[in-house]
Parts: sequence; structure tokens; C-alpha cells
Amino acid sequence: MTNDRVAIVGVGYSTTGRRTGLSSRQLAVQAGKAALEDAGMTPADVDGVTLSWDVAGPEPEGLEPVNSDDAAHMLGIDPLHVSSSGGGIVFAHPAREAIAAVRSGQCHTAIAFRVINQRLSVPDLMSQEAPESELVPDHWTDPQFARPFGQVLPVQWPGALTAQRHMDLYGTTEEQFGTHVINQRHNASLNPEAILRDPMTLDDYFASRYISKPLRLFDCDYPVDSGSAVIFTTEERARDFRQKPVFVDAAAFALSWKPRTAGPESMVFTWNSPGATAEHLWKQTDLRPGDVDTVQFYDGFTIWPMMWLEALGFCGPGESGPLIQSGATRLGGSIPLNTDGGACNMGRRHGANFCIEAVRQLRGQCGDRQVPDAKVALWTNAYYWACLLTAD
Amino acid sequence: MTYPPMPRLTGLTRFFWEGAARRSLLILRCQECGYYTHPPRPVCRSCLSMELAPEEVSGRGAIYMYTVAVTAFHPFWKDKVPYTIAVVELAEQPGLGVTTNIVDCPEKLLRVGLPVEATFVETAPGLTLPMFRPAIRATGPRAASEVVDRSEDSARPAATAGR
Repeated sequence: MTNDRVAIVGVGYSTTGRRTGLSSRQLAVQAGKAALEDAGMTPADVDGVTLSWDVAGPEPEGLEPVNSDDAAHMLGIDPLHVSSSGGGIVFAHPAREAIAAVRSGQCHTAIAFRVINQRLSVPDLMSQEAPESELVPDHWTDPQFARPFGQVLPVQWPGALTAQRHMDLYGTTEEQFGTHVINQRHNASLNPEAILRDPMTLDDYFASRYISKPLRLFDCDYPVDSGSAVIFTTEERARDFRQKPVFVDAAAFALSWKPRTAGPESMVFTWNSPGATAEHLWKQTDLRPGDVDTVQFYDGFTIWPMMWLEALGFCGPGESGPLIQSGATRLGGSIPLNTDGGACNMGRRHGANFCIEAVRQLRGQCGDRQVPDAKVALWTNAYYWACLLTAD
Repeated sequence: MTYPPMPRLTGLTRFFWEGAARRSLLILRCQECGYYTHPPRPVCRSCLSMELAPEEVSGRGAIYMYTVAVTAFHPFWKDKVPYTIAVVELAEQPGLGVTTNIVDCPEKLLRVGLPVEATFVETAPGLTLPMFRPAIRATGPRAASEVVDRSEDSARPAATAGR
């Protein structure tokens, strides 16, 4: 039996913050319980777990990992028909696996987790002296051909290199980056669950230090300990639970090394993948960008939501800066962006917050930051995942 | 002595680092169709031949992406910031990128498309890196500072612009 429509019926977060003292197991359990409570479910209603765990950097001493078997066992999910901890490093991977598992009938209800223990701080990193240590795992390129040149963290590549190229090609300005940053901080100020909530001005933005030019501190997401959980189930079951279900209308993953716009093929697949993802997404649905009420776009760095605005067709290539300056992406604009404040202000949940905020917008639960009558929401993760959600 | 992260030489990658130590930029090239592949892989991404061999390239190229790294995230770079990380697209083939550093180049001259040429820098005992500097014109040797500053006449704002 296959299930054509997959629904989201529960979402939840753990305690989230810096140096919470919580283990990865505790973060997973807290998030799982919160999602079950949100859905009005018991563990007996669930038969699948997908989970992505890491520390997004070197492991603090004594850290314990958590995996999907472990999470299911702790939460009393039994029998377990789908269990996967393979995936990858962001929430897109367990989400994709949960959607596929429910849609294919391998299980009827799956919880997708993303659990992160905060990485070591920069001072911690700088105090380490091991010459050949694996200080910073690099998932994106061949580290041997990047790290000796001092390209050691994602803020440099893909973050800053992509942002600087965008500026050079399109005339994108730092003021446009800053406008996005203060827009989503305003949204965070309306969100009791956001961690950074003090309103910011452009002057505040320009007063912040550069990390890797043109990216400044406030262009970067905020590393925290966090557990996030989202419950996916069949349409048949979706209406039996507490919340108004939200449906997965389309879900697309793509890595692409080929350019969508003019330019050479490149090893720089971060530049090409959002466009390939968008093509794959829009083929799956009759909905179009003009039908979307709000977008929640991954903001590991400011350049990513801008790349997504362009790739998904909310503006043309290189036009995201002017679109942001026009006010279109603010609350009350034509396409409100990152209404929860984004990962820069919600803390790094590696994509889960974009899914959860999209769900809450479609349920109408967002209070002062609610997009009126939101029926269609789009969320993305990293540079290779986009998912279109609709209200019932 | 603080070392940078050192490459771990393998059968696939040894040629690159040993070449750099001899001040030669070597890139793996398909011996059947001529396509270059970097970082090294055991297969030609164009024709799937597995007959590849290192060949010296011209060392000429253009900046494809760059960033001025201001914050050090590894002890080795503590006293070396700011430094410029770049992907340089080599002249031999569209899309043939190498991650590198740009040196001998004032920050205001940095731009996507800037012609560059290889130079070799020993950054630690036993580690020589192929880096790039602004290309010296064929008419004769010129200092990097003589390279025409196009930041004024291009549409883009200078990389260092505040507001």
C-alpha cells in the first residue's frame, strides 16, 4: 500500500540554547515528547524514526551520540518499522526519509529528528594545537585541497565565497544583506521562542564584525544545543489527532554541478543546486510561486535565503537584493520570509525550524507574526532541499 | 611551531603535493579524452575512463570566487588574518576550479574574473602550496600594484565597502 499524501501532524522543540548541559539523548527525548504532545499522540501511534545527529564541529569531551534506534527505544516506540540515522547533516535528510517511508508504506507514522550539540567555541578551537588533527570536518569538498589554504569552516565556503560572488556578479550590497538581517530580527522580536529578540538597526548590523568578508557576525546562524522533531503520517490517519493537518504538496532534493544560469560548470555545486532543486519541486505541483503565502528559507548565512528567492522564482537571478529592499519579504509584504526569525535568531536547528514555522503558519498559530490566512508555505534547507506545504 | 592542517598524501593525491614542492602545478588529466579533474578522482568525469595522469598546467586562471577571511578558526592562522581564500578557475578548462589563496594583491583589486597566475609558497616545513597572484601582463614583468584597478569603473561596490 502506498500513501500519496503525507501529512505533518506534530512538531516540537527541546530546551534550546547555549551550553544547556543537556545531552543529545535528553535533547532528542525532549523534542520527541514535545512533538507527540503537540499532535496528541502516544508512542504507540508511531512506527518509524529518522534522526540526524552531530555536533556540527569537533566533539566536546564526554559527548554522547544518539541515533534513531536509541530514540525509539527511549520513547517506547515499538515495534519500529523504519529506523534511519544515515541521512546527512541537516534536517532535510531525516525529513526526506520520513516522507519517503510514510509515502511508500514502510511505516504509517514517522518522527524526524534533528539533534545538535553545540560545537566548540572559537576560543576552544584556537586553543588546540594538534597539527594534523581533524579539527574541522569538511563535508563539502575534499578537505585535503581546502584546509591547508585556511578554508576550514562553512562561513568561508560555501558562505562568504558565495556571497562575495553574488556581490561581484549582480551588484548586491552589504546594505541588502543587512536589511534581510534586521527584517528577520524584527520577526524574531514577535516570536517568544526566538533566542535573539532585541530589535536591530542597519547601524547595529554595520557595527558588527566581519567573520569572512562580506559576511558579518549577524549574517551567521546562532549555534545552540537543540533538538527538533516533526511527525509525518498518512492522510488517512492525519485527521485523527489534535492539530489541523498540514500536507506535503511537493518535496525536492537536488545536487547539481551544472549551471542553471550562464556560467561554466563548476565544482561549486552550492551555486547550482538551488536551481536544480527548484526545477524538481515545481514539476511536482500545479502551485506556482505566486500561490505561496510565506517562505521559510534556510539562513545558515544571509546569502542562502537570497539564493533561494531567486532559484524558486520569487525574483530573477541576482534580483534578491532589490526584492529585499523593496520590503516584499517583510511581514505584511507579498512574500514574508523567515517569520520565526530564521536560524540566525531561533538558533541553529539545521533546517527544522523552517519546517516547523511553515507548519505553524499554516495552522494559524503564529500570533503577532502570523501571515493572515496562510494556505501555502515553502521551506528549504541547506542548498539542496525545498518542500512545499499546504493547509488542508 | 604551529602547523596548518597537513594534507595526508595518498596514492591519488601525492603527485599534487610533491609537484607543488617542486613549484609545479599538476592536475589530473584523462589520457583518453583530455579532460582535467580536480580535486583528484580515480575517474574522468567526462568520459569515465580510469586512465588519468598528472600533467603540468599553465598556472594561469581567473578568480571565480573569493573571500577575505578576517577571523581565524585554526591556530595556524591566528597571526595571518586577514588572508584571501579563493576558487580559481584554471585557463585549461571551463569550470576547472582549485581552492587556493590569493597573495600579493591589494584587497581593493580583488574581483571575480581577475586574471591570476600561480605562485608557490612554503607555509610550513614540508608544505608548499600553489597560491595565485594577479597575472603579470605578457608585455613584461609588472608589480601587482601596477595592475589596473577596475573597482571604480565596474558596477559592483568595492569588496571592502561599508555602507
